[in-house]
Amino acid sequence: MNLESFQTRVLPVKNKLFRFALKFVGSEEEAKDVVQEVFIRVWNGREQMNEVQNWEAWCMRITRNLSLDRIRSINRKQTHPIEESFNVQHEALTPHESTEIHESMQRINQLIASLPEKQRQVIHLRDVEGYSYNEICEILELDMNQVKVNLFRARNAVREKLMKINAYGL
Amino acid sequence: MLMDSNRIEELLSKYWNCETSLEEEQQLREYFKGGDIPEQWRETAALFRYFEENKKKTLNDVAFDAAVIQNVQPQKKGKLVKLFYNSMRIAAGIAVLVMAVWFVRKEVRDTTPQEVVDTYDDPQLAFEETKKALLMISKSFGTAESQAKKLNMFNEAQEEIQKKDKGKNSKL
Repeated sequence: MNLESFQTRVLPVKNKLFRFALKFVGSEEEAKDVVQEVFIRVWNGREQMNEVQNWEAWCMRITRNLSLDRIRSINRKQTHPIEESFNVQHEALTPHESTEIHESMQRINQLIASLPEKQRQVIHLRDVEGYSYNEICEILELDMNQVKVNLFRARNAVREKLMKINAYGL
Repeated sequence: MLMDSNRIEELLSKYWNCETSLEEEQQLREYFKGGDIPEQWRETAALFRYFEENKKKTLNDVAFDAAVIQNVQPQKKGKLVKLFYNSMRIAAGIAVLVMAVWFVRKEVRDTTPQEVVDTYDDPQLAFEETKKALLMISKSFGTAESQAKKLNMFNEAQEEIQKKDKGKNSKL
């Protein structure tokens, strides 16, 4: 692979890698460093890339491993939610409605952040990034069963809490 | 795209059971993006909007690509710079070592008593100084001698007494 195809094929996945790294390390600067390092690894291992069936999943896996390394090295457990607020814009909404939506976003953010790490990773990969189960298996180095169980638990934990919020307005 | 609520209900129950395909999940996301969501799905809609919003998050750095390319490019002219940096590192190390040795030496010198050192480079001056020292010694000797002479008086007196004593004894 030459530099040009690296630029056109590999670099565009940076946002996916960035979002995934962010799920682990929690800070944008750290996540950016991780993605930077991932690309250097990918470039250095570009000979292997022809043997890899799904190189995007391969990049995601490297991102995951490097993020975990980074967390270990800074000896910090990432439990706090991402601090950035979501910029929800909807033309048809009144200010009151948009505030309400903003609040529920924050609630969901906290809710997902409180999930166990594996569940959080699986739900991110599936529901945000739209990866297939096979790809998730490859990225997280888990078998299909574990991926499905984790996704099931994650979605149902979220659903239960949402239903509580709906019922009691919590 | 409008979907009837029965279809959504069905998709949602599949979704919670993890039986939906990626396409069906996309349909749900599309549906919840729109307005007019029935009250019972308000929080569910927020969840799907949350996923959508999350996907919008991007690596906001225009210089990022350039930085990556620079990092992965084989370094050609960088070699000289690298050599320079490396030699500077070595030089810095040596400088630190030299300073350390110098300080230690200084410390040792300050704490140990001064040895006798030859302070004269000029032979004439050295000669004068030696002469001065010797003269001082000889002067001291001179003083000592005159004092010793006084002691000698006692000796002489003693000898005189002994002589007289002998004379007396021989007469007896």
